[in-house]
Amino acid sequence: MRGLIRGMQPVAGKPVRDLRADVFRGIALWFILIDHIPGNWLGGLTLRNVALCDATEAFVLLAGYAAGLAYGAVLDRRGWAFAAAALLRRLGTLYVAHIFLFVVFTAQVGYSAAALESSAYLDEMHLDAFGEQPYLALLQALLLRFQPAFLDILPLYIALLLMLVPALPLLRRPLLLLGLSGLAYAGVRVLDINLPNWTGGGWFFNPLAWQLLFFTGALLGYVPRRRRPAPAVPFHPLLIGAAVAVLVLGLGIVLLGDYGEQWLAALPQPLADLLTTIDKTGLHPFRLLSVLALAYLVGHAVPRGAHWLRSRAATPFVLMGQHGLPVFCAGIFLAFLGRLALEMDDRWPMQLAVNLAGLASLVSIGVVGAWYRMRERGDSPQHATNPVPVGLRVPVESTTTVT
Amino acid sequence: MTLGAGRVLLLLGLLLASPPARAGGMACDAPPDLLAANAALPATARAATGGSLRILVVGSASVLGPGTSGPSAAWPARLEALIRARVPQIRLEVVTRGARGLTTAETGAMIAAELAREPFNLVLWQAGTAEAVRGLDLDEMVEELNEGLGRIVAAGADAVLMDQQFSRFIRANANVDAYRDALRLTAAAHGVPVLRRWDLMQAWAEADIVDIERAGRHEKVAATDKLNDCLAQAMQALIRDGVAEARGRPGQR
Repeated sequence: MRGLIRGMQPVAGKPVRDLRADVFRGIALWFILIDHIPGNWLGGLTLRNVALCDATEAFVLLAGYAAGLAYGAVLDRRGWAFAAAALLRRLGTLYVAHIFLFVVFTAQVGYSAAALESSAYLDEMHLDAFGEQPYLALLQALLLRFQPAFLDILPLYIALLLMLVPALPLLRRPLLLLGLSGLAYAGVRVLDINLPNWTGGGWFFNPLAWQLLFFTGALLGYVPRRRRPAPAVPFHPLLIGAAVAVLVLGLGIVLLGDYGEQWLAALPQPLADLLTTIDKTGLHPFRLLSVLALAYLVGHAVPRGAHWLRSRAATPFVLMGQHGLPVFCAGIFLAFLGRLALEMDDRWPMQLAVNLAGLASLVSIGVVGAWYRMRERGDSPQHATNPVPVGLRVPVESTTTVT
Repeated sequence: MTLGAGRVLLLLGLLLASPPARAGGMACDAPPDLLAANAALPATARAATGGSLRILVVGSASVLGPGTSGPSAAWPARLEALIRARVPQIRLEVVTRGARGLTTAETGAMIAAELAREPFNLVLWQAGTAEAVRGLDLDEMVEELNEGLGRIVAAGADAVLMDQQFSRFIRANANVDAYRDALRLTAAAHGVPVLRRWDLMQAWAEADIVDIERAGRHEKVAATDKLNDCLAQAMQALIRDGVAEARGRPGQR
């Protein structure tokens, strides 16, 4: 299985593929699957239980990283127009995937309502916006203005990539991009601006706020031509200390919310209000800081050449990360099946079955994706680690990567 | 020899089969920690000492007892009956307001209107279901709760929140956990007790005490009646705990 990994062995004259991004994206994708199945016992063991950020933040940061790496390289080699076209092609794929998943969701609601004889719920709770106004619901879904529960990450991702199209050239002017992005983030949070949602309110993940995390990732991933990849943010004891402090504070806040809620009342009201209004929708600054601190610490704790990245245990996750788009979409789909299964029975044999089948499916999608890509290019596993020279690479080679 | 073994087995079987010697627990055997108020209800305690108690119940459909055998089986009506049975000498008035699909903003406005009309000692506020199920703004729900709880305290009353009903269907089709957590934390920040209906109903469903989603077509009304009665008992236990806390907790629970 390890032979399927891209960038397994370093190749002379070519920057080493950073497997860290792949393995952590793989783990984030697995956590997203787990967290998308409420009632799943493993949900008590994912990142969100110990940090003020979760797999969504990690996924968006790494998606930005991958996009900066891939489309930044295309930009440098072929210019903005070509890179923009490649991005739009990728956007088209994501859009179609989202609409497919929307159709699946609609079918799931209908099925589980029938299975539990809970048509009363549909009626009572307006859950069935689709049943009430099917034509309008379809139109709103196509406009990304109707996002049922658990179908909110893909629209966010689509909006973020769309914003990257005009912002691509700014990858070469990191300070300007970061300044504009930060300004927009602050403005959106202060003025409470969000994209509209048909059923009321705004998007569950506000892309106008989340773009800061995405563009930060893109700037970290972008490697300017004729320059060796350097650590994006250099090691500094003070920064390490600050990052640790942020994470410890975050852990404290999470534990307080989960186990010590009765102490909240003893805090001064403004502080208690602050702690209970750390929102995910607008990517609260605490959450942003938490994920950046986590990334900084992990980036320096795990060296690029860490042995375990190439170990047997890490392989499934690396493969999942390298084929992120199909794995992500399949994960959303598998989450539907998992929720239906736990709806029927949520005792431990079913918990075990759902989680084993879920992870096995994700891994096999990564494996099949890698195998197919290798065959498509006529490579044998031995040659796969010996890619074509950099200058001739097909720019959209990342069709099987989340970028 | 074989007879002896058979007897032992028989005895063992009888021992295992005999029902566990267990007294009926409080509130349909609800887990005790779900009946703890973790906060004081001083206005309610004062009113009860004074011999008259006025309770306002506001929420969406569930305060009206949909699916029960009639209005008297809805949990607010059952709660009223339970309190009357326990303290017959008290002058008790329970006012219930609600309608299907109301949001927190709408029930909050309802509470404000009722409090402006006449005083209450205790407001039971069921919230968060419409938001969770329709995927409405989480922040907006929190803001409305903050505002509403502040208003209740300013009116000299106690508040108790009630969260979403447990349902495997809702769990599978709506992002309910985010809304439950937000409601729980907001209440905690105000030092307001929450009747954790989701956890209670899940515990009852797992212990086969009452599970309306698994009840057959013909048992559904009876199961819904029982659920409302269990909820009323749980709410009564929670209020008693909050009153005991306000009185410095000498004994009763």
